[in-house]
Amino acid sequence: MKKEELYAKMATAIIEGRKSEAEDLAREAIKAKLDLTEVIEKGYVPGIQKVGELWEKGDYFLPELITGGECMKAAMAVLQPELDKAKIKTKSKGKVVIGTVEGDIHDIGKNLVSSMLSANGFDVVDLGADVKLEKFIEKAEETKADFICLSALLTTTMLGQKKAIELLKQKNLYGKYKVLVGGAPANQKWSDEIGADGYAENAMLAVKLAARLKGA
Amino acid sequence: MLHRRERTSMTILDLIKKRNVLLDGGFGTELFKRGFPRGACLETWNVERPEVVKEIHGSYFEAGSDAVMANSFGGNAIKLSSHGQGKRCYELNKAAAGIANEVKPKGGFVGGDIGPTGKFLRPQGEFTEAEFEEAFAEQARGLCDGKADFLLIETQYDLREALCALRAARKVAAIPVFVSMTFNRVPRGFFTLMGNSVPDCLQELEREGVPAVGANCNLDSSDMADLVKVMRENTRLPLIAQANAGKPSLSSEGGVSYSQGMEDYLRHIPRIIENGAQIVGGCCGTDPEYIRRMAAIVKKED
Repeated sequence: MKKEELYAKMATAIIEGRKSEAEDLAREAIKAKLDLTEVIEKGYVPGIQKVGELWEKGDYFLPELITGGECMKAAMAVLQPELDKAKIKTKSKGKVVIGTVEGDIHDIGKNLVSSMLSANGFDVVDLGADVKLEKFIEKAEETKADFICLSALLTTTMLGQKKAIELLKQKNLYGKYKVLVGGAPANQKWSDEIGADGYAENAMLAVKLAARLKGA
Repeated sequence: MLHRRERTSMTILDLIKKRNVLLDGGFGTELFKRGFPRGACLETWNVERPEVVKEIHGSYFEAGSDAVMANSFGGNAIKLSSHGQGKRCYELNKAAAGIANEVKPKGGFVGGDIGPTGKFLRPQGEFTEAEFEEAFAEQARGLCDGKADFLLIETQYDLREALCALRAARKVAAIPVFVSMTFNRVPRGFFTLMGNSVPDCLQELEREGVPAVGANCNLDSSDMADLVKVMRENTRLPLIAQANAGKPSLSSEGGVSYSQGMEDYLRHIPRIIENGAQIVGGCCGTDPEYIRRMAAIVKKED
């Protein structure tokens, strides 16, 4: 099979959510000694991007988005040992510390953003829900993160996003990390007001925003 | 064991046959106005501060609600566990319905409110349908023992989860169980977060013999009116409609406002009724004042 054909099949496997096929194709690529970074960039990544586009358009829904992310993860798990063996470091698009702020147990949106960032080549440390604000900063320091992503669903807990930024200022760490905020009541105006680096309305826009900020 | 209310007077189903029924509006925001702490578990105040919860229910009855919803939206055992309150499921739900009943006027009704778990079923999540059913059954038991007149399974973004709640509720409750889904508007129409369409939801719920179905949350009253039209095309059952007052936003000082505002919200209520909703109430961003104004539009005797 020509590699272009293989790449197209990889993308399709992700788009249609066929996990074992995504894994088999990864094994095939290894066997054919293809350039694995190219396999990821030209095979799988276009697949997950298409899933995101279909979701944004309202043709796909949450199950398809989650399945797409899982297929991506499965394919990467097959490729990773080979990449390690060959000492190829896949270019991380950036390191992200993400979680839902303290007092808020809602994690559906945060999980989607986390999964899409990871599927699109970011290194993601997911702290879960109801996360102490200090913990975000500790973890970002410890892992040398590029981004701190703060999620909140409730208007009451959203103030935690503002407080996290105040905490960064107190610790003289404001500006060291790009702080992104999200959640149903959040918007660009809120992000500007509290001094965050950005807001995204959904998981796909969050990926685009992070990529843009990292490039800048 | 089945719990059956004595039929001393008209049930809510009887009232729906007679005229349009008015539910209540936002609850959490009313609690926060009264000093409820950020991020805590709303249902705990059914036991710790029942007088505050009762006052809110009273204000809705006073505003004209035919039925108020008990403070049990997050009261299923799974959601309560996220707050470390899982063991109090029965107690908090029984108290929720009980205290609403204490301020119920003659001819009024108390609905047991059943919201989503916030978790996903397999394969998207970790939970089985049996686990969901168990979590909802415990809640429904509490609500029934607190003498709820009916149950409203609401804000459901996954039809499978709604059906779990329905099965669970019916195992323990002999009172009517209504189901209200939450839809997003996308270019192709209205779908739940999980991708369930309006016909999929309504036809399945109608097959299950649910006596009233509908939608709440997420959409503002204009979009809700459009959705009611689509729902009416897909079922002959009495329809529930409870719209949000638009999208919330927070000022950096912490003040919450909703994008639609009361006048615009009310402007679309007549269309919600004309398009076929018979059970109307508010959702996020609405308060007793909204309900007072809606009463004049909704509660016209036919």
